[in-house]
Amino acid sequence: MKGLWRTCALTCLAFAVTGCVTSTVDEMVFNEPTEGIGEASVVILGRRHASDYDTEPEFIRCVGNYIQARDDSVTVIGELEFLNSLYPWFEPRTAPLRPVDLEKLLEHKPVMDKAAELKIEYMIWIDGNTVRTDAAGSLACAIGPGGGGCFGFNTWSNDANYEATIWDFTDRAEVGRMNTTATGQSYMPALVVPIPIIAPVQGTACDSLAEQLLAYLSSEY
Amino acid sequence: MSRWTTSTERFFTALRVSVIPLALALSACGPAHVQVEGEFPTPLMEPLPLKLGVWYADEFRNHEFHDEAKAPGDSDWVVTTGQAQVNMWDTLLQGMFTEVVHLESEPGTAPSQIDLDGVLIPSVDELQYAIPTHTSIKVYEIWMRYRFKLVSPAGEPIGEWTMASYGKTPTAFLQSDEAAVNFAAVMALRDAGANFATSFTDVPVLQPWLQSRGIVAAKPIAAP
Repeated sequence: MKGLWRTCALTCLAFAVTGCVTSTVDEMVFNEPTEGIGEASVVILGRRHASDYDTEPEFIRCVGNYIQARDDSVTVIGELEFLNSLYPWFEPRTAPLRPVDLEKLLEHKPVMDKAAELKIEYMIWIDGNTVRTDAAGSLACAIGPGGGGCFGFNTWSNDANYEATIWDFTDRAEVGRMNTTATGQSYMPALVVPIPIIAPVQGTACDSLAEQLLAYLSSEY
Repeated sequence: MSRWTTSTERFFTALRVSVIPLALALSACGPAHVQVEGEFPTPLMEPLPLKLGVWYADEFRNHEFHDEAKAPGDSDWVVTTGQAQVNMWDTLLQGMFTEVVHLESEPGTAPSQIDLDGVLIPSVDELQYAIPTHTSIKVYEIWMRYRFKLVSPAGEPIGEWTMASYGKTPTAFLQSDEAAVNFAAVMALRDAGANFATSFTDVPVLQPWLQSRGIVAAKPIAAP
């Protein structure tokens, strides 16, 4: 009974200390695999061509894990594993920018053999990032021989914007685009102890985008 | 028991008063040191049918980059890339060429191994880095310029060229500047490998040498 109360209290606290997030998703897809992708596999990669931001590797992992956790028949190849297996052909400098570029890449026999071994059916490129936008307030902390503490209030908002482009690896064609945006406000009041109330902006964007990709790739959704 | 407790309390009070502030003060001083560490994959390509020698000068093997703080709040930086450079180039070259031989002395200074097609001598000409506090962009960046010399086993020059590489990584929650700079350096090394592997047969100064070994076909001379 005591354990149940503790669980309830922790759950309520977790909800109470989470900031609000607003998320929207747009998609345009065609040639959807109605029977799922069978024994083939999918690779999800981050675009890293922009000079002022990088698609976060943890976001790519999050999308892959979300899909794999909800439909284990969809094989998702890890980004780093794929990049290492096909080094140096998918580094930011050498990665194909259009589906037709795959044709030239597959002229290299070792690359073609490796792609066949990995049974790649879809290649999904995710481009975007999460940024902190407005921030306000001030918070000061002090430490002395008798102890320490903080006082003040901080607030900031985060914006996430990601676009996924789906390439059909067999047909060398783009078969869909999905976009997700999420915005959330986080707070940090401090009265001796700072209490972070964080809006899970990146996590919400990850869930929204992964849900759409799952609906495209999985026969069960 | 109470006497022990009192002396223990005194000890911890003294510790709090003296050692902790001292440790905090000292942690703000001293250069940020990054020993670049990472794993580098073998390139997925048909090896070129060449027996290549490689010579790493001591300066390259122990390559270090020093940067002094420019603003009062900044710290000095020491980025050691030597070991990672050797690991990356060894892995890359062994995947790119049918045979790679490490030379123990500079070509031309000792009896040469005449059956080699050539000897590659890489060096780092320049290294620059940027962290978010410098640029207000939320990425850590490393930029390097390499200089390569290709010489005959006897040390006669065949060609010399430069090549740039770039690596960056975004800021991440609970990631230290040192860890981020290390990751950006690993990305820059991977980029150097990718650039070298995909452009080696296109380097203009190497064309006669590559043609003489049948690696690339001689281009027909355009009619005037």
